[in-house]
This record gives sequence, C-alpha cells and structure tokens, in this order.
Amino acid sequence: MGKADDEDGRRGRTLRGWLRVALLAAAALPAGECGRAQHRQDVILATTTSVQDSGLLEALLPPFEAGTPYRVKTIAVGTGQALELARHGAVDVVLAHAPKAEMELLESGAVADRELVMSNEFVVVGPAADPAGAGQHRRAADAFAGIAAAGAPFVSRGDASGTHQRELELWQQAGVEPQGAWYQQAGVGMGQTLSLASERGAYALADRATFAVLLPHLRLRIVLEGDPELQNPYHVLRVSARRFPRVNAAGAAALVAYLLAPETQARIGAFGRERYGQPLFVPAMGGGSEPPPGR
Amino acid sequence: MTKTPLVQVRGLRVTRGRHTILQIPELDVRQGEVLALIGPNGSGKSTLLRVLALLESAPMQYWMDGLPVRLPAAGPALRRQMGVVFQEPLLLNASVGTNVALGLRLRGLGRAERSRRAAVWLDRLGVGHLFGRRAHTLSGGEAQRVALARALVTEPRLLFLDEPFASLDVVTRQPLVEDLGRLIRASGTTAVFATHDFLEVLLLADRVAVLDGGAIVQLDVPRRAYEAPATERVRELIGATRAMVAALPSSARTPSEASP
Amino acid sequence: MELIVEGVRQAGAMLLAGDPEVWQIAWLTLRVSLAATCISVVIGVPAGVALALGASRLHRFLIGLANTGMGLPPVVAGLWISILLWRYGPLGQLGLMYTPAAMVIAQAVIATPVVTGFTLAGIAQQDPRLRLQLLGLGASRWQLYLLLVFEARIAILAGVIAGFGAVVSEVGASMMVGGNVKGHTRVLTTATVLEVGKGNFATAIALSLVLLLLAYGVTVVLTILQQHGRRR
Repeated sequence: MGKADDEDGRRGRTLRGWLRVALLAAAALPAGECGRAQHRQDVILATTTSVQDSGLLEALLPPFEAGTPYRVKTIAVGTGQALELARHGAVDVVLAHAPKAEMELLESGAVADRELVMSNEFVVVGPAADPAGAGQHRRAADAFAGIAAAGAPFVSRGDASGTHQRELELWQQAGVEPQGAWYQQAGVGMGQTLSLASERGAYALADRATFAVLLPHLRLRIVLEGDPELQNPYHVLRVSARRFPRVNAAGAAALVAYLLAPETQARIGAFGRERYGQPLFVPAMGGGSEPPPGR
Repeated sequence: MTKTPLVQVRGLRVTRGRHTILQIPELDVRQGEVLALIGPNGSGKSTLLRVLALLESAPMQYWMDGLPVRLPAAGPALRRQMGVVFQEPLLLNASVGTNVALGLRLRGLGRAERSRRAAVWLDRLGVGHLFGRRAHTLSGGEAQRVALARALVTEPRLLFLDEPFASLDVVTRQPLVEDLGRLIRASGTTAVFATHDFLEVLLLADRVAVLDGGAIVQLDVPRRAYEAPATERVRELIGATRAMVAALPSSARTPSEASP
Repeated sequence: MELIVEGVRQAGAMLLAGDPEVWQIAWLTLRVSLAATCISVVIGVPAGVALALGASRLHRFLIGLANTGMGLPPVVAGLWISILLWRYGPLGQLGLMYTPAAMVIAQAVIATPVVTGFTLAGIAQQDPRLRLQLLGLGASRWQLYLLLVFEARIAILAGVIAGFGAVVSEVGASMMVGGNVKGHTRVLTTATVLEVGKGNFATAIALSLVLLLLAYGVTVVLTILQQHGRRR
C-alpha cells in the first residue's frame, strides 16, 4: 500500500527501459559481424540439396578455407534455383547434376566453363516385395514402363531438381506420360521424398549417396541399378566474370581448381567409406564417367 | 467594477456537414465566477465546453486576460492553465497517486513534490486513504473524486467540467457537488461546467447559459432564469426542478450582484 | 516413440555438453530475432499510434494494409527481399544477401505489421475522450502519444510477443535471404529443416526442443513484463 504502488509503475518503466537497451545492443551484434565478414572474400557456391545432405562439402571445404583467404558460403537450394541464380550472376560457382540444363547455361554464356568433378549413380528404389516387377528389367526406362502399367505408386521429386529432370527423361524414354493417382509429385528434397515413398510403399528414383545415408530409416530397397542411363555426373560451373563483373572471379577460379586438384579428388573418392561401407561418389579423376553421349 | 473577463469568445460557429452545431456570437467567462451551461442532449453544451477548453478547434476569436490568442499555436501553453474533468473519470491503468500527480509530472515537477501535492488534494476531496490503490479498484464516486483531485492539483486558473456528476447515483452525487462547490470557492478558481440538471446550477453557479439548438437562449443568474425563463423551451428544461426547490439545502447560491 | 526419446536425449547432450555448433546456432537465432523484433517495435508502435489516431480515408487504407501484413507468408517476404538484395537487384551493391543482416531485415518486415496491428487495436479501443482528458491535463503532442502507449501497454506487449514468436519460428524468409550457410546464417529453424531433409529426425527433434526452450524463455520474460501492467 502507500507509495509501493507508485513505485510499481516506475519499476515497470525502468525494466522496460533496460530491456530496450539490451535489445538494441543485441541488434548491433549481427550488424557488426556482417561488417567484419566483408573483409574476408566470400565465394558464393550454389549447390543442390543432395550434395549438401551427403555431407561431402563439410569434409572438403575446411581445408580450402584454411589455405586461402576465401570463405565459401554454400547455399543449398534446388537445382532449378541454383542454375537460375547462376544465370543472374547472383552466385560465383555452381555444383549441380543436371547436364542438359547446365549445357544451356554454358551455351548462353552465363557460365564460363563447366568441369566434371565427380559422379555417382541414380538407383530405382521401391518396396521390398517389388509388386510391379521393376527388378526384372535391365534398363531403368523399362522398369518405369512396368511401374506405370501396374499403376504402382511412385513418388517424384517434382521440383526441377537434377534428380527430377533425370526421372522425366526416363519417363520419356519409356514412352509414358506419368499421371494419375499413382504418380505423386512431392515438391520436397530427396530425403523427404524417400521418407514419403517409404511410408506409402512406393517407388522412387534416388541418388545412391542419399539413399545410402538414409537407408536405416527407410523401408525400401534398391530394385534396379547399373543402367548406364542412371549415371549421375556432378559438374562445377564457374559463373562468367566477363558478363557479371561483381563475381568473385579469383575466388571462383581458386575453388574450381581446388575441387579438381588430385588431393581433393582422392578425398572425394574416400568419402563415406567408413560410415556407409561404400564411397558415395566416384571422383572424375578416378574413372568417374561422363554420361552417355546425347546428354 | 468591470474587471477584464478571463476568457472572451466572439463569432464562434461550429458546423458538421450541413448542420450548425453551435453558433455563439458572444460569450464571456468572468474572473472567479462559476458559469453553468445547461441544455438538453444535442444542444451543443459539450461542444461549447470543449471549444472553450481549447480541446476542439473551431473558427472563432478568443481572448484570454484581454489579450488575443492565436490558435492553434498557443493552445498547448494555455491548456496548461486549465483543468478538465469529464463525465467518466478516465483514470489511467496505474495507482491513484500516479494518476493525480500526472498533470504535475507533465509540467516537470519532481517526484517528491508531486506526491506531496497529490496527497494534499486527495485529502481535500476526502479520498486521501486511496493514494496507493490501483485506479480500477475504485467505485464510481471515489474515481470521480480522484479525477477532480487530478484536475485541481495543478491549480488551474480555469476549470472545465463536462457533466461531472451525471454518472453518479443521487446519493453519491450530492456530497460531491457540495464538496466541489466549497473547494472552488475556497481557491477562487474560475469554473465552467455543463450539466442537464438545473439543481446543480442552483447549487453551484453564479451565472447560467441556457443552450438550445446550438445557441444561447438565456444568459442570467440562476434564480432569474428559474423565475423568469426567457422562452417556452427554457421553461420546459427547468420545469422538473421546480418540484425540488423546497428541498434545497441552506448552501444554495444567492444571486450575485453583477448584472448578466 | 524412440525417436522422441532419442531426440530429447540428444537435446540434453547438445546443451549440457555445450556442443559449440548448437550454441552458435542458438545464439545467432536469438540475436537475429531479437534485433528484428526491436526494429519492428521502433517502427510498428509509432505507426500503430498514427493509424489509430487518424481518421482519413488514407488511414483506413493503411490500416487494411497493416492488418493484411499480419498474415503475410514469411516465404513471400523472403522472396521479395531476395529480389531486392540479390547482387544485381536494386540494393545489390550493399552486399547483404546471405548475411544475418538480411535475415534481420526480412524478419523485421514480417514482425512490423504484427506490432503495428496490435498497437493500433490497443489504442483504438481506448475511450476517445481519454485523449481530450490528457490534453486537458496539459500534455503536449508527444507526451500524449507516450501516455496513450503506456495505457495500451498490455496490448502492445502482446503484439511484441506475437511478433517475436512469428519471426523466431519462421523458416521461409530466413532460408531464402540467409541461405542457411553453416556457421554464418544457420539458425535453429533452418537447421531443423536441414536435418529433416537429411533424414536425421532425432537431431531435428533435438534442435526443435532447443528452439522451443529459447522461444519460451524470451516469451516468459515479455509476459512477466506484460502482466506487470494488469489491472489488479
């Protein structure tokens, strides 16, 4: 009673005052960090979610950053977005696995060059029982035709990613227009697409690396592999500094050179061996192959 | 004994759309007087009060202490010499003490002095014991007393009250009307209050302006307005009060010597 | 079920063992969202006051905008701000893309309409004669605004809590303008999405628990502040 209540109002106001000071101080911090960052030259690398999910870059990039003044900002987005960013010069380097779209980018002059870094394979995965008999075939296109004929559920990436683009090419080869209740377009990343397929007992097309990483969580198995059409090459593209002067040309060149250097290539070849029992990628230098001609 | 009126207004006209809400060619508020504004709902008395208190802008000429006032520029400074009380107490969500001291705080007075003066005026209005209470725990009568203390603590030269007792029941109202009358007399504050209850006019006012349809139809000492209403309308307004005349307490006002 | 248990266990391990990456991500989350909320208060409260006190048609139009802004999908905000901040966008020269500053901007854009809307509602529901009363007590224009804000503090703080909650939990805008760069612009929400995408559900649950703890902590402080002003 008495004066206490009058104090209450003021205490409340003082509390608010201090809170405001604290908040403003907190606000200053990210800005400060940003300023410092500009001095370290940033190389913006756009890559796909499958590459990021594999964890490869976390193994490869630290030595690069340690040995050079560059800091690599890895933006993992869908292939579609990565290539579009390159087309606008918003990034410095792209690591993708969509050969057709990459070629268009090269021909348009938005990227200066394109080099094979590594490759792995796509695999067709499905429920253990394989009701559509996909495993009987040699060619992935035939397996797809069989799945469509049986109306067996299939989960597609549906997001213009490298995986999705390859899947569409296979449907084309199978002479099938995939539509109907059995064909579901997920619009999410590879990991979630596989989870979806696992939940619904459906087929899907996946890259071997992601599938290997997620296998313990999935009720799927590989039903078809080894078809040359399933080769999945990863190329690194250097965005044209001539067309986009704001590109970090020196940093981009350094990063590309690093990825193609023998020691790095060896590291790529060894990646994943202890954890998953098999390497997830085949380096370009170690016999990783370009896809069949015409791609 | 023509002292300069405290406030003089000429050529006041307030319109809203096509309707003329208020048309006052001339009105003076004399030093030290209590002027009542009475009229039915919609007669413009609240609007007139707000205009006089410089809370609402309107085309007019305004003098204070005989000096012309440039509006709206001079408004804030002049308002600091005034006080306002409305029908609702309109207290802030804080303690009673904080509420009453608000006007002093706005004028930059130190905390200790503010609290002292607030306590003094709360005592004068008989609610000193409520100093630390949260404003929203008060009854209607208590809250209105606090609102009055809040207006009076700044010692305004001119006090405006817009139907200050209308929300109170009759039992609560009577003592407050008497207390307010005493306090205003004691401090010599000039006051203008709007009401629709002629009894309050008889109890408190030196002069009364009867409003109807936005114009002053009679401006007189209360008793003369009571005994000789200027128009049929005025007679109607006062009508109900006739029956209560016999019950007037001895502190009823006697007509002042000044002419209207 | 084991997933949840595993998630809780991981969360405990992360926090108690002081996993530096998780602490760094949590600290960045806090700083970015608090900074954005701060900005939204500085802009939103005055804007809400102005909108509540005005009566023109322009005011009504702006009020409609503010209320619509409250429902603005974060990813839409992220998209539009990206277009401005990209290298060759109108503000590309600032080099803000993929930085925490860009995330603060995006989150501020999301939170400001929320704070504005709550402030506006809080003041609009006050007795209009209160303004006259305060002016009658001798308040100057700025004193009046401060007093009205003080009187509406409960509603305004609700707006701050809502604004903070909206931005600390959003992922679309942070992902787009921040890029989820490890060690630089990765916050709890984007890290959780990443782990879900990778299939590390236990880790994702753990991160989400850290986020909930963080959000709860800040909200509790703000709530105490707000309840301080309750009519007792």
